[in-house]
Amino acid sequence: METATDNSDMTQSDHRFVNRKPFFVTIFLMLCALTLTSFWIANSHLMETPSKGWAAMMAVSTAKAMLVVLFFMHLWWERRWKYALTLPAMILGVILVLLLVPDVGHRTDTYSSTRRTAAPLDGDVDSGQAQLGSQPESKASPH
Amino acid sequence: MSGTTENQTSGTPSAIHGLKYQAAVPIERGKLALWLFLSTEIMFFTALIGAYIVLRFGSPEGSWPSPQSVHVVEWMGAVNTFVLLCSSVTVVFALENARQNTPATAKKWLWATIGFGCLFLGIKAVEYYSKYSHGIYPRSPRSLLYDRPDLTYLSGVKAETNRLIKNGSATVSSSSGTPTDSTEAEMQRRLQQLQTGLVQWTERTVGRSEDPLMQTRSIEALAWMIYPDSFGEAQLVRIEKFIHDEMALNQRRLIELEQQLSQSQQGLKSVQADLADKQKQLKAIDSKSTDAAVKAALKEAKKQLSTVKKVASAATVRLTELTVERNFLVGRIKAVNDLAQYGLASRGSEAGHANHGINHRFGLKLPMVIPSGNTWANTYFLLTGFHGLHVLIGIIVFLCLVPMTLDQRRGELVENVGLYWHFVDIVWIFLFPLIYLF
Repeated sequence: METATDNSDMTQSDHRFVNRKPFFVTIFLMLCALTLTSFWIANSHLMETPSKGWAAMMAVSTAKAMLVVLFFMHLWWERRWKYALTLPAMILGVILVLLLVPDVGHRTDTYSSTRRTAAPLDGDVDSGQAQLGSQPESKASPH
Repeated sequence: MSGTTENQTSGTPSAIHGLKYQAAVPIERGKLALWLFLSTEIMFFTALIGAYIVLRFGSPEGSWPSPQSVHVVEWMGAVNTFVLLCSSVTVVFALENARQNTPATAKKWLWATIGFGCLFLGIKAVEYYSKYSHGIYPRSPRSLLYDRPDLTYLSGVKAETNRLIKNGSATVSSSSGTPTDSTEAEMQRRLQQLQTGLVQWTERTVGRSEDPLMQTRSIEALAWMIYPDSFGEAQLVRIEKFIHDEMALNQRRLIELEQQLSQSQQGLKSVQADLADKQKQLKAIDSKSTDAAVKAALKEAKKQLSTVKKVASAATVRLTELTVERNFLVGRIKAVNDLAQYGLASRGSEAGHANHGINHRFGLKLPMVIPSGNTWANTYFLLTGFHGLHVLIGIIVFLCLVPMTLDQRRGELVENVGLYWHFVDIVWIFLFPLIYLF
């Protein structure tokens, strides 16, 4: 797989005697800025359509994770083994999650009418409320 | 690093000509092992966070608790994110100093990392306490969370109210003469009001109504009075309307009852006058007379007296019934106004905002309805708990490094522990928006 020259490549990539602290501080500042960005998104007009806000926040989180993985965890300078050890694990994790979707993600599809009555937002409930409003006396009377 | 590989290469007996030993993955065994461990961790946390996302977005629409309703403070999460980011930088610096062979500085950065890790756990502990103190636990019997305003919830509130009244009356009687006496008596009065005006009233409404929607709404109104924070705008409108309608109806019913009561009292008075009259008449008749006409009159008078007595007794029963009914209704109106701070004048969204909840106002721990609250509590404590456990393990490993001299030779070790620590940071990077901002 790897040739003998890899070892020398790795030694070069170590940057052993270069002061990388300013570089890492830059990464840290970028991470802080991104944290503030996701905080800002959560309180901005993007959350009026929550799916947009969520997608934006996840994008920011992914960017932050990439910064940490690539530079703090040095994967930027590592060789191709990094893919072998990270990607299959991630794919398997995602598959496991997708397997939950039919049963857990769609669990409300088989909810009983009793559960729907108590649901905070539901089409059935809206019509029920209208009915209650039109006949408040006969409905609301405890006698 | 390259030296190790060369040693391995030269140390391998070259029995087969032309083939040399080569490491399949050109990194140290420790780092390889750590990365293999991290890839299992990737699977673990991807599945855990993914399951949370599936549960959260698969919950009934609009039911997932808002951060406020479960006492999640956004800025605390943001501060914790910052703390972990700082710790990531300090561990990177520790590694840099170890590689540059300046162990003393490396040690300082290591201590800084440990400090940030402890600060993270400290803030986490404060956050956990704010959940526990409000009865948000991952499971019963301590959890006060109910998903739906149903009969199970109602009986939960009833049982807790009865228990409080029983305990409270014991405290009041045992601690007579102490300065807190009046406060305890006041509390006891509030609890009685809660028991009759809210719990028993709801029980009766549910018992008398055949409409499941009506039953749910009346229990929902009770839940709103106890803990209003978990209800969204749409629900608030519906609950306010329900309570407003009921209170308007109660006021009308009260006027009716008062009229009926005064009529009934007047009726009873006239019946009582009638009764006295009849008794006088009976006395006037000579009971010892042997005259047949007198005997017949006596018999008739006795019959009339017995009839009037029956009427009087029925009128008394009716009056008692009406009085009980009126008192119950007055109790209800007073309880809703006093306990839930609900006034008919504050019709509209103000009513919702005026109500801070019985639990909050009186420091009670009555069961609360938080839709999807149990799923929320389970996932919250599971995710943050596993993450916190990783932070704790990281701190312990860092503490193990403290006695060592962190020079160039220890560079690999510091790097490996740092890799683990950065991974823990990445997990938090995803948990922060998912738990605090979504």
